[in-house]
Amino acid sequence: MSAAHSPTGETDVVIVGSGAGGAPIAARLAQAGLSVTVLEAGRVFDSAEHTPDETTADLYWMEERLSGGQDPIAFGANNSGQGVGGSLLHWGAFCPRPDPRDLALESETGLGRDWPFGWDALASYIEAVEAVVGVSGAMNYPWGGSRFAYPPVMRNAPAHAMEKGAKAVGLTVSDAPAAVLSRDRLAGTTPFRGHCINCGACHQGCRTGAKGGADNSFLPMAVASGARIIANARVIDVERDVGGRIKAVIYRRHEQDHRLDCRALFLCAGGVETPRLLLNWGLGNASGEVGRNFMTHVATQVWGQFDADMSMNRGYPSSLISEQMVRPRDADFAGGYLIQSLGVMPVTLAGGFARGAGLWGAPLVERLRNYRRLAGIGINGECLPHDDNRLTLSDEVDDLGLRKARIDFSYGENERRLDAHARKTLTALWAAAGAQDIFAVARSAHTIGGCRMGDKSDGAVVDADGCSVEIDNLYLCDNSVFPSALSANPALTLMAVALRTADRFLHRTRTGDF
Amino acid sequence: MGGKFATLIAARAREGAAGLSGLVGVVLVAGSPPSPEPMDENRRAEMLRWFDDPAQLTEKAQKFIDDNTNDGLPEEARRQAIVDFVRTSPEAWKGWLAKGSREDWSAQAGVIALPCLIIAGEDDGDLREAAQRLKNAPHFRTVDSAVVPRAAHMIPQEQPDHLAELICKFCQTISATALPVQFVRLMASDRVSDRTRCAMLARHSGPGRTDGSVLSQAQLGVLAAVVARILPGASEPSDLARRLDAGLATGRGDGWRFADLPADVEAWALGLDTLAAAEPKFARLQGDVQDAILRAISTGDFDTQNEPSRLSANGMRLWFEDVASEAARLWMSLPATWAQIGYDGFATGDRGPLQGYQETAADVPEAWRLPLGSVR
Ligand SMILES: Cc1cc2nc3c(=O)[nH]c(=O)nc-3n(C[C@H](O)[C@H](O)[C@H](O)COP(=O)(O)OP(=O)(O)OC[C@H]3O[C@@H](n4cnc5c(N)ncnc54)[C@H](O)[C@@H]3O)c2cc1C
Ligand code: SF4
Repeated sequence: MSAAHSPTGETDVVIVGSGAGGAPIAARLAQAGLSVTVLEAGRVFDSAEHTPDETTADLYWMEERLSGGQDPIAFGANNSGQGVGGSLLHWGAFCPRPDPRDLALESETGLGRDWPFGWDALASYIEAVEAVVGVSGAMNYPWGGSRFAYPPVMRNAPAHAMEKGAKAVGLTVSDAPAAVLSRDRLAGTTPFRGHCINCGACHQGCRTGAKGGADNSFLPMAVASGARIIANARVIDVERDVGGRIKAVIYRRHEQDHRLDCRALFLCAGGVETPRLLLNWGLGNASGEVGRNFMTHVATQVWGQFDADMSMNRGYPSSLISEQMVRPRDADFAGGYLIQSLGVMPVTLAGGFARGAGLWGAPLVERLRNYRRLAGIGINGECLPHDDNRLTLSDEVDDLGLRKARIDFSYGENERRLDAHARKTLTALWAAAGAQDIFAVARSAHTIGGCRMGDKSDGAVVDADGCSVEIDNLYLCDNSVFPSALSANPALTLMAVALRTADRFLHRTRTGDF
Repeated sequence: MGGKFATLIAARAREGAAGLSGLVGVVLVAGSPPSPEPMDENRRAEMLRWFDDPAQLTEKAQKFIDDNTNDGLPEEARRQAIVDFVRTSPEAWKGWLAKGSREDWSAQAGVIALPCLIIAGEDDGDLREAAQRLKNAPHFRTVDSAVVPRAAHMIPQEQPDHLAELICKFCQTISATALPVQFVRLMASDRVSDRTRCAMLARHSGPGRTDGSVLSQAQLGVLAAVVARILPGASEPSDLARRLDAGLATGRGDGWRFADLPADVEAWALGLDTLAAAEPKFARLQGDVQDAILRAISTGDFDTQNEPSRLSANGMRLWFEDVASEAARLWMSLPATWAQIGYDGFATGDRGPLQGYQETAADVPEAWRLPLGSVR
């Protein structure tokens, strides 16, 4: 480690993090002719080297986070990634659009928080992202009609069971929107990508490129337009001018510290790292709001045993969806949830059963031994911001001398009611599908909030354009800026927000408002 | 010479080379090490000339037997040994003495995660037991040694029955850890990448004696007893406990921990100590009594007598959740478990055209797959 910063040069824009938040911005700003440098803490992955072996796959952000509260969140492999491509290297590619109602939940229910813009401001960006990453889905999708460029991927055994159960209980289901190619896509603005081979190892990294990720979409587009991506580059500090604007970032690469001057900084380090860095640097937090409003998704699963060889590790896991519970008729809570079929690999499954269902002893062993007969369905449900749920800094420091993140999280009344509703719905559905020995696994997923987007007047950390309300050349774009959780899984929405943020930045640059 | 090759082939199995994934152990019989073979230089010089005069070969063969045996060979074996010697290729003979035996392959051999039985002849010259311990043993993670009395270097010809007995006994002990043939065949096929195969083999053999450890013997004993109740009848509890211990020792966490617990290593040790302090005989209790204690721990009702040096009842609850989850994850990551439950998701393709699954619906088989239920 060297104390001296070797200057590495100057660039218009530095983007920290190459995931769903950073990559689209890199592509759009580079296409607009700016000089763009992406600094990514993780390494480069060649898709051929991915392994379906859960213990060996090294795509996850494994630095320690401290989890407190009544419902502590499991981080690690469950929550965030590292590598050129970020969490999109290992995401499940489940790609529902945000429900317009969820963007205005507060107006609708008085609970939660509205987004500073509505569906209309987002729609064209959502479509743009879908076109770039390639989304497959049903011909006549019940919630929005035909919009998919690719026919659906093959359903897995749990999806077939879910369809049967749904029919019996009167729930509408459909082949799910998935950022997975059901046929080959030739090279164009993005590289060649092979079709899905039903290997089921999406969470360990896709070897054919069927799964859309930053590494096979926005990042190559950015590079084609001249962006520079530096892997293994860990940003550890920023430098500011007398006016408080960012003038350089310091990053560590192979034990060497480098300084990179920049005109603007986009912090896209993920839903935990971004607020953690801001808190460590004492940056953009005059309102004391950084780290507040930390959310996740209620991601309860219901499992059961079938009389058939399900082998749920075969095929794209989340191949069936229901959006019907985004606003359940009998809800006693705000918002709602999506339902999806599951396919879970053995190690992750074992951890989930032990932690989320409290199983141990013979009940655990018997179920796991029956791996091939097991199948599950799960939800992704709304989570409201709550005062006690926040990210703070622990007194413990990491190897870089930065204080570790501590996240306190507890379900509130709304989450508990939503969870109870989902358990009832899913259990009835699974029983109708022929499942026996049905049980639920408590689980949460995704790291959301902490740097809320909104109005300066009500204490937001960034404005609707993603720009810090305090520092006009600091932009944030990752799950941390979400004002509310939404019932949709976050990545599609985030990529759309990223494109919008880039456009807003370009607009400000052009109009001299920067 | 055979020993040097055997060790290097075992090293390639460790690297995940296809076709070698069924290897379960190595027996070195008076084996030459991967490093230069210790050899008296005068003897080497003399032996290099042995094949210069074809007329003297039988005489040299007799000398070879005299030099390499304790007390000669029985007539039948002696005749065969002479025939073998005479048929030796002179190039190979010289090649081994001048070059092969001097080459140093110890870096490539590294430490191999397979059990090895090292057999030495009591009266061998340069390759007797002490040399074996120094030169061959460090290349294997688990080593058994045996010395064959009244034998020098030609143990198979000198003491065939004794040698066969040693090998049979070794096979019996290691066969318990061998993966089923059908599973091994799938693992060796082109459906599995070297990276995946290599990881599976390393995991299958588990940590060796020299791998890190952070728990004391007493703590390991309690952990094994706890694991036996978390995963009854699943896998050898002391093996799982040792694997968990070695995992903790790597310092590689899983990306998070409970804020209410200290760092992982400290928390695991404290949890075990807290349990042992309150229940000194835990490991020897009946299973149902142990279960009742663990149930109290899992619900946060374990009485730790508010002793500040121990974990609180809530701490014990979180600790138990960690132990149960880690033990379950570990067990479900073992190739031996996969063979039992018929999990074949590791075999969905190497580089090149990837095979994946053709069928994803329930009850629709594919010829290459492992059968449902336990595999032999
Ligand atoms: C197992 C799993 C499955 C998921 N499945 C789905 C799904 O099916 N559908 C869906 O919509 N969403 C899914 N998600 C969520 C989705 O992947 C994330 O919400 C999304 O990728 C987050 O993007 P991000 O840009 O905020 O962060 P990331 O994609 O995590 O990117 C952050 C990047 O910043 C880098 N970084 C962090 N700190 C620094 C630093 N100091 N210096 C340099 N680089 C740094 C990290 O290495 C990382 O690459 C899933 C997530 C997980 C974990
Ligand atoms: S199931 Fe399909 S999308 Fe998922 S990793 Fe395999 S090939 Fe890629």
